[in-house]
Amino acid sequence: MSVATRTINFTLNGAPVSATIAPHHTLLEVVRDTFGLNGARESCGQGLCGCCTLMVNGQSVSGCLSLAAFADGATVTTVENLAVDGKLSPLQTAFIECGAFQCGFCTSGFLLMATELLASNPKPTEGEIRNHLSGNLCRCATYPEVMRAVQLAAERMA
Amino acid sequence: MNRGNDRLENLLIPFELLEPRTLPEALSMLADDDTAVRPMGGGTALMLMMKAAVFTPRRLVSLRALAPALGGIALDERGALCLGGMATLSSLEHSALVKTHASVITRAMPQLSNVRVRHVATVGGALAHADPHMDLPTILTALDARVQIAGPGGSRELFVDALITGYYETALAGNELITGVAIDAVPGRKAAYIKCTTRAADDWPALGVALSLVCSGGHIETARVVIGAATDRPTRVPAAEAALAGALIEGTTLAAATLDRVRDAVASQVVYTSDAQGSGAYKRQLARVHVVRAITAALQA
Ligand SMILES: Cc1cc2nc3c(=O)[nH]c(=O)nc-3n(C[C@H](O)[C@H](O)[C@H](O)COP(=O)(O)OP(=O)(O)OC[C@H]3O[C@@H](n4cnc5c(N)ncnc54)[C@H](O)[C@@H]3O)c2cc1C
Ligand code: FES
Ligand code: FES
Repeated sequence: MSVATRTINFTLNGAPVSATIAPHHTLLEVVRDTFGLNGARESCGQGLCGCCTLMVNGQSVSGCLSLAAFADGATVTTVENLAVDGKLSPLQTAFIECGAFQCGFCTSGFLLMATELLASNPKPTEGEIRNHLSGNLCRCATYPEVMRAVQLAAERMA
Repeated sequence: MNRGNDRLENLLIPFELLEPRTLPEALSMLADDDTAVRPMGGGTALMLMMKAAVFTPRRLVSLRALAPALGGIALDERGALCLGGMATLSSLEHSALVKTHASVITRAMPQLSNVRVRHVATVGGALAHADPHMDLPTILTALDARVQIAGPGGSRELFVDALITGYYETALAGNELITGVAIDAVPGRKAAYIKCTTRAADDWPALGVALSLVCSGGHIETARVVIGAATDRPTRVPAAEAALAGALIEGTTLAAATLDRVRDAVASQVVYTSDAQGSGAYKRQLARVHVVRAITAALQA
């Protein structure tokens, strides 16, 4: 069967881009394989772990469950967009200072989810942080350090 | 820059993807007699089924472009809370109207899947999927919600109870779409939902108990008691509802004899399925305990 392709145009980390895709391609595959942005990665492939987190029109989504076709016209940002001119964001710095990762596989997802949380809720309670990050799994079990890092970033950004 | 797709290695099998702009257009692209043609709301459930190869679509009809028309949350002229079929679960979670008129939904949302899934999953998908472990169908059954359905011959309405007919089974024809859900305004109604997961909050529940109590003058007039997750489909327990009807409210609880009758009814009148979340006997015991907690939670709401 010949697969119909289509061209999608979207904004990726601030720059207008276009890509030729097929309807069955996921946004995660396009971001990684077509644009070489490898911060988001597929782990569970089922929406459970958050390793594939991408921001689409300002909202976190699981890239593994998103069809690339729907990114047409959208604004997509990835973890690579958090640092500005090579300067890490306060949250990224706090992750490093608190040792909020071990292997780092889950880190891009935690960073994007926590950035999303702090943007809408600059002073989250512990419960609110846990709740927002409950769909992110860390096999190295750095949860306590992640909690501390998010709290530290929130204090510094206040 | 335009990039090709030479490096894409895909888990999904190719299909046709259509993006109709209007409801009539969407309906005309569906097929009553072809299970390989499906509407797609947020796609969270479909993507999982496609990746697991339990569903191989020939054609997907995305309803995304209908979100402006079918994604709203509003009160109708009779005060019923209307949730659009394309309203996302996170729009329910953060809606002031939902909080005022059906706060049981607001309270349940943080425990339903996770932030990313709620950002895209829709009311229509949450009902049409009919996985018995899902939360919203059980809650909406307790609220006696009406599901609005559009098809080639016009529209019709079903109570959630009649929509979901069994394990992943609904009364929807292949060429029908859920356009919305209406929850009637019932003065004095208090509701609660308790979900019981055996490991972490994101796991599929072993049990969901939803109930609504219509209270007036210090007693319960009528009640709906619904057991989900542990059953093939959200299941009402008429004997428990009868035990609650007329009961005197004592603070945030009821007479011990009434609670005993409710406990016995949920234990004896429901068939509990054994599966990965636990044995039927275990879930029956969970139900005995949690139905009483749900009554207290509803009376406190
Ligand atoms: C990681 C993860 C965790 C989850 N945890 C929970 C949980 O804790 N509790 C819970 O309740 N659920 C949970 N879910 C399930 C989730 O609620 C469903 O996947 C979601 O509600 C489906 O909505 P959707 O819009 O994405 O549906 P889709 O995937 O688009 O569609 C699902 C089904 O509904 C049909 N459909 C979609 N829209 C319509 C419509 N308007 N009219 C007619 N048919 C339609 C589709 O054809 C398909 O058969 C979880 C899902 C994931 C991925
Ligand atoms: S890979 Fe997408 S959520 Fe786990
Ligand atoms: S740091 Fe290893 S998975 Fe989180």
